[in-house]
Amino acid sequence: MRFFSPGDRKPRVGFFKFSCCTGCGFQLAYFQKSLEDTLKSFDFTFFRLASSSGTPEGPFDLALVEGAVTEPYQIIELKKIRANSAVLYAVGSCAITGGIPAIKAGVPEMEVQNKAYRTKLYGLTSLRPSVLGDYVEIDGSVRGCPPGERDLQEAMVSVLFHRKPEFAGYSVCVECKIKGNICVLVAEGLPCMGPVTNAGCGALCPSYHRACYSCFGLMGQANTAALKGKFRKLGLTEDEIERRFSLFDALETKK
Amino acid sequence: MTGENVFQKNYEVLICKELFAGWVEGLRDDFKLIGPVGDGVNAEFREIASLKEANLDYQSTMLPPGKAYLFKPLEEIVLFNAGPGGVAAEEPPIPVQKQVLIGVHACDTHAVFYLDKVFLGAFTDPFYKARRENTFIISLNCKTVTDLCFCHLIGTGPYLKAQSGYDMLLTDMGGEFLVELKSERSKNLFNVKGRPPEAGDWQKKDEMETRLLKSFKKDFKADGLRQVFLSRPGHPVLKETAEERCLSCANCVMVCPTCFCHDVYDETDLSLTRIKRMRRWDACQDYFFAQVHGGNFRSERQARLRQFVFHKLDYEGQFGLKGTVGCGRCIRWCPTGIDLTEIAEEMMK
Ligand code: SF4
Ligand code: SF4
Ligand code: SF4
Ligand code: SF4
Repeated sequence: MRFFSPGDRKPRVGFFKFSCCTGCGFQLAYFQKSLEDTLKSFDFTFFRLASSSGTPEGPFDLALVEGAVTEPYQIIELKKIRANSAVLYAVGSCAITGGIPAIKAGVPEMEVQNKAYRTKLYGLTSLRPSVLGDYVEIDGSVRGCPPGERDLQEAMVSVLFHRKPEFAGYSVCVECKIKGNICVLVAEGLPCMGPVTNAGCGALCPSYHRACYSCFGLMGQANTAALKGKFRKLGLTEDEIERRFSLFDALETKK
Repeated sequence: MTGENVFQKNYEVLICKELFAGWVEGLRDDFKLIGPVGDGVNAEFREIASLKEANLDYQSTMLPPGKAYLFKPLEEIVLFNAGPGGVAAEEPPIPVQKQVLIGVHACDTHAVFYLDKVFLGAFTDPFYKARRENTFIISLNCKTVTDLCFCHLIGTGPYLKAQSGYDMLLTDMGGEFLVELKSERSKNLFNVKGRPPEAGDWQKKDEMETRLLKSFKKDFKADGLRQVFLSRPGHPVLKETAEERCLSCANCVMVCPTCFCHDVYDETDLSLTRIKRMRRWDACQDYFFAQVHGGNFRSERQARLRQFVFHKLDYEGQFGLKGTVGCGRCIRWCPTGIDLTEIAEEMMK
């Protein structure tokens, strides 16, 4: 097995953003526990949030891309990034499931634009949101809104070692139990999305006594019908249930 | 010298609760005290400074005391240091902290015996072994049962009948505790003098047990399941329950006091010099649990649910014990209330 060793040149990383809040980029820039090691091990060839120098042209050993695709120019850029990168990871819910930018998915663009802007903006070319994987092959997804430091780190380490990253595919409940939180869904009847949501956050919300709202997105094995049934029993209306499930998964729920 | 020390002979004594609490507090110098805090079925075993913080009338806890304090949910088991000279493995120190688990119910005490089979059986787990040896278990006979308890059908409660494998057994007799010493070390450690129990006290204990046994709500036939499981592994109740209600969230497994499966994985830091090998509770309800190279041998939800139900109610061949101790936790903490005993009953029909 070949992997980058201390004598090699550092892997070149490009960090790109499309339509999103830049929270994933912030998370990377604030790698609290390992900033020094990160800079020692990687060459950030392009990371606008951290430095205005650097080139977006590549080539990159690893491209990390956050944000949903909501404008035509982004499609061209994304394809270019893909062509110039050995490995491309979609980072964060916007890039993976559409996330928050996708809540407009079920509404005609005309209506969205009229609602969002007072005057007609003739230059506006906003599209129905898409995820990166709709336009290019992606090599992996680093889930979260934003992802946790551990998963981002694992994504980067996997590139150094030329191995598949190890990401959790189980529910938030597993992490919640490992933390020993009393379950807010069972004990208090809060509409927690943990049972269908992919782990990775360390059960952040239930640890602060809040119901999970699924910002990491649905896990692959989610049984959404079963949880909706439970929410109905808790007395949630159909509208409330649909909102909980579409907050981070509108592209699927509003097809 | 007063002559005969009645207590030393009998290892059974009635003492007032305050005296007992005082004795427990005295253990603090050498032991971490861990006891049930909170009410009803939502209590929690936590570190406490004295018995005043504990609620020995608790009914159940979400995480079982044995599993939570002997088999850590998440722990580092090896540390690899990579440097120019190669890779060196370093074992983290074996846990030496002494702890007392106070107020462990009968089912949860039996669950520890089950974990012993796993971690001290064919293979000895050094971390479990060290914690087990450093843990003084004070068990407690239940005073009430919950609507989901079925230990009476499994033979694991509500009164603890085991004579060894733990240190002390308490029975709440009103103003007093009946203390029964079950280990050599408890005989050395317990130095409180009280009154030796008389025939009337034992009779009272028996009566309390009989009364308690009558208060169970759950009833199903735990025997004979083997044949049913073998002959109808594809029973529709499994598929229906799995598809309509099972979330594959794994809460059932996480809270089960006898579920011992764990995953081992490596965490590499970005300096690439330190790799931590971690062990984390794992769950057969998770799709990826049975994912191996080339496929998944339990990709269907019903196959995963069946695994849990059969392992708990059958599979006695594995360790000579039932996989369940009848605590009811998996039912209580399942978001959709899936009940393994109802599934078994349906299959028996
Ligand atoms: S609080 Fe939410 S995430 Fe935690 S176990 Fe309960 S349902 Fe799962
Ligand atoms: S608990 Fe749910 S909403 Fe909260 S951070 Fe985790 S995935 Fe996001
Ligand atoms: S299977 Fe359920 S009832 Fe049995 S010991 Fe495990 S959690 Fe308790
Ligand atoms: S807790 Fe219930 S819903 Fe979750 S995996 Fe277990 S049986 Fe299925």
